[in-house]
Amino acid sequence: MALKFGEATEMAPMGSERFVPRDRESFLDAQARHRRATWRLTFLSAMAAVIMGIPLALVVTPLLYGFGLMVADTVNLFSPLPPAFWKQADEIARFGLVAFGWLLQQKPADPQALVIGTVVMLLPGTALSVLLWIAIDVIFHRAGVGGALLALRARDPNPAELKELRLADVVDEMAIAAGIPAPKVMLIDAPGANAAVIGTSPQDARVVITRPLIDDFSRDELEGVLAHLIGSIANGDLRIAFRITAVFETCGLLVAVINSPFGSQSRRTLWRIFRYAILRSPAQGGAQEAAAVSDLLTRSVAMETNDIDRLFDTGKKSMSRSIAEFLLFPIFLTNLAIKLSLWFFSGVVLGPTVALLWRTREYLADSMAVQLTRNPDALASALQKLNADRGEVPRGGWASHLFIVDPGDGDRSGSGEPSSRQKAVFAQAWAASAPEGSKLATGSAALLTEFTSTYRAALAGNARAIARLQAAHRTLAQIDPALAATMPDPADLAAARQGDLEAVARLRAVRLQSSSTPGQHKDHEDSSSGGSTVSLIGFHPSLKRRLKRLARMGAHVDLAAGDSKAWKVTLFFTVLFGPLFLLLAGMFLLLIAVMVVSSLGFLVIWLAIIHKLFTVFAAH
Amino acid sequence: MSISPGIFGLIIAAAVVVWIIAAFNGLVSLRNRVQNAWAEIDVQLKRRHDLIPNLVESVRGYMQHERSVLESVTQARAQAVAAGENVQSRIAAESILSSALGKLFAVVENYPQLRAVENFQMLQEELTSTENRIAFARQFYNDEVMKFNTAQGTFPRNLIAAPLGFRPATMFQTSGMERTTPQASMNSAAL
Repeated sequence: MALKFGEATEMAPMGSERFVPRDRESFLDAQARHRRATWRLTFLSAMAAVIMGIPLALVVTPLLYGFGLMVADTVNLFSPLPPAFWKQADEIARFGLVAFGWLLQQKPADPQALVIGTVVMLLPGTALSVLLWIAIDVIFHRAGVGGALLALRARDPNPAELKELRLADVVDEMAIAAGIPAPKVMLIDAPGANAAVIGTSPQDARVVITRPLIDDFSRDELEGVLAHLIGSIANGDLRIAFRITAVFETCGLLVAVINSPFGSQSRRTLWRIFRYAILRSPAQGGAQEAAAVSDLLTRSVAMETNDIDRLFDTGKKSMSRSIAEFLLFPIFLTNLAIKLSLWFFSGVVLGPTVALLWRTREYLADSMAVQLTRNPDALASALQKLNADRGEVPRGGWASHLFIVDPGDGDRSGSGEPSSRQKAVFAQAWAASAPEGSKLATGSAALLTEFTSTYRAALAGNARAIARLQAAHRTLAQIDPALAATMPDPADLAAARQGDLEAVARLRAVRLQSSSTPGQHKDHEDSSSGGSTVSLIGFHPSLKRRLKRLARMGAHVDLAAGDSKAWKVTLFFTVLFGPLFLLLAGMFLLLIAVMVVSSLGFLVIWLAIIHKLFTVFAAH
Repeated sequence: MSISPGIFGLIIAAAVVVWIIAAFNGLVSLRNRVQNAWAEIDVQLKRRHDLIPNLVESVRGYMQHERSVLESVTQARAQAVAAGENVQSRIAAESILSSALGKLFAVVENYPQLRAVENFQMLQEELTSTENRIAFARQFYNDEVMKFNTAQGTFPRNLIAAPLGFRPATMFQTSGMERTTPQASMNSAAL
C-alpha cells in the first residue's frame, strides 16, 4: 500500500480484515490468462476479413475474368498466346457447370479439381477484402480510436482548483506505477460520471474524464478508475480496440463499395474516405474527420436498402426502364445477397465474438488496476458507484467500448421514453407557447421536427431558441407541474455545454430525481449503445461478474446471495427461446445460402456469356 | 524425403543460436527497464526536495511553537540533498526525511485553522502526491525487478543468463533505522 499522508479524514472505516495479506500472485495469474486471448482476437480479425470476402467474390470474379480476357485479347494481337491458355480460360468458364453437375446430378468429377476451382473462384473476393482491411488499418492508423470524443468540449484540468489538481496528480501517479508516460487529461462537463481512453498508443493516449467523476469519488476510488484506464493503455488496448473497429469498418467499406453503382449516399461516403486518405490534413482536424468517416462506415453495415428501394420503385415505368431492370436484376440479386450475408455475418457472428473477446480485455484492465494500486476494494466501490450513476456522455455512444462503463446514448438528460400522454401534454404546451404571429406547425411529426431543431439551436447557444424552450417549459409547468419538474431547464443544458458547473450540478439533480429505480440498472446486461449496435451482446461485462473477479483478487464486496430464482428464470427462457433462436438462425442461413447459390448460378451464366462474346468477337 | 544428419544438425544449431539471441535481447530489455525504474525513483525523490522549502515557508507563520519540527524537516532535507552517490546513505537520508514529514503532518492536525487555508490544502495535496509517486515508483521498480529475476531464473533462460553476464537485481526494501541496508548489488554498475 502506498504511503499516504493526510488521508485520515477521507478513509472509510475499515475493519482489521483490510490488512489480511492477500495472495499477490492471483492478479498476475489472471493477467496471464487474459493476455493469451488477444492473439485470438488478431487471428479472428484476419479470418473475418477472409470470410467477408467470400460473398464479394460474386462480383469481383466475373469482373476480373472479363478484364483478364480483354487483356489477353489485346496481348494476343501483338503476339499470339498458346492455345493451352485459351483452353484454361475455357475450363474456368465451364467450372460452374461442372460444379453444378457434380452437386445436383451426381456426375463424376475430380475432387481435387473441384476444390482448386472453388478456391480460384473465391480468391479474388477474399484477396480484395483482406487488402481493404489492411488499407483501412493503414489509413486510419494515425487517427487511432475515439476521435469523435475530441469534438466534445474538453478542457485541461485547472491546477488552481483542488479537485482538478488531485485528478492530475492521480493520473501522474498511476502512470508512474504503470511505467508509461503520463497521458494527457481531458475534462468534460457532462452530467454523468464516466471515463475513457482514446488515442493510438501509450505515447499519444488521452484520458477523457467527466467532471462528476472527480466530484463524487474519493481519492482511492479515483485511483482505482484511473488505474483501470492507464492499465489498459499499458496493455495495448488502444491498438486492439482499433483492430476491432477496423474489422467493422472493412465490412462497412465493402457494403459501400457494393452499393456505389446504385446509391449516391455510398458514393459520397467513398469520396469522403478517398479525400481523407489522400489529402492528409493536420492532426486535430484529421482525427475528427477520421472519426466521422469511420462512423459512417460502421453505420453502413446496417441494412440500408434505401438505394435499392428507390430503383425498384413501381411508379411510372418507361419501357427502357423495365428492360434495364430486367437485365440488371441478377446484379441486384447478387448485390442483395452480398449485403445480407455481410449483415448477418457482422451482426450475429462477428459482433458477439468480438464483444466477448473485448470483455476479456476489460477483466485484464481490472486486474491491472489491482496490480497498480494493490487495492481491489477501491475499484470495486468505484464500479458500484459508476454503475448506479449510469454515466451518460453526449455522443459517447459510438466509442462505447472505450469507456469504463457503458456511456449510454448521450443527448437525453432523462431516462426512459416519455409516455404518449406525456408527449401529448408536451405538444400542447409547445403549441400554446408559440410566439405571437408565428406559423403553428400541425401534426405531431412537424411539431417534433420543430422541437428538435429548436433544441439543437439552444444547445449551440442560440438565445432565441433558449427563450422558446423556456417559454414552453413555463407553459408546461402551468399545465402539468409534475412533468415539468422531471424535465431539465433548457438554459441549463446550454450552459452545461459551455462549462458552467452549477448548471451541470442542477442537471444531475434533475436526472437522478427522474430516474426512479436506479436499482434496475444494477445487473443489467448492456445490450445496445451507439456504435456497438452492430452486435447483439454489449461490450461491457456486467457489474456482478466484475465484482466477482475483484473479490477473487481480494476485494471485500457484498455479492447479492439471493440469486437462486434468477437462474431458474434464465434457464427457463434459454430452454424456451434457445431452440427457437437456433431455428430462426438456421432459416436465415438457408435463405442466404439460396441467394448465394442462385447468384452463383447467375455468375456462371455471366462468365459463360462473357466467354462466348469473346470467342465470337475475337474469333479464335 | 530424408534430410542428411549433417544438414539436420546445422538446422538445430541455427535454431538454438536464434533462440539465444532472442533470449539475450529479452533479458537486456528487462534489465534496461529495471534501470529506468530506478532512475524514476530518483526523479521523484528530487521532486520532493524541491517542494519542501515551499511547504515549510507556508506553515511557518501559523506554527510559531513548533519550530523544532520545522527545523528537523529542513535539516533532513538538506542532508538528503547532500547525500551524494552512495546508495545506502541516500536511502537512509530519504527515510529520515519521510519520517520528519510524517511528524510534521501529525502536528498540523492540531492547527485546524491551517487546514482551512486553501493554499495549504493544495500544498498538502502536492506532498501527498509526492509521497505516493515515490511509493509507486518503488512499486514499479520492484515489479520490474521481479520480472527480470524471474526471467533469469526460469528454465531455459537460466542456462544462459549467468554466462552472459546477467545478475539478479535487488528489490527496494524500506530500510528503517532498525533494518540492515541491502547489499551493494543495488549499485547501478552491477545491474
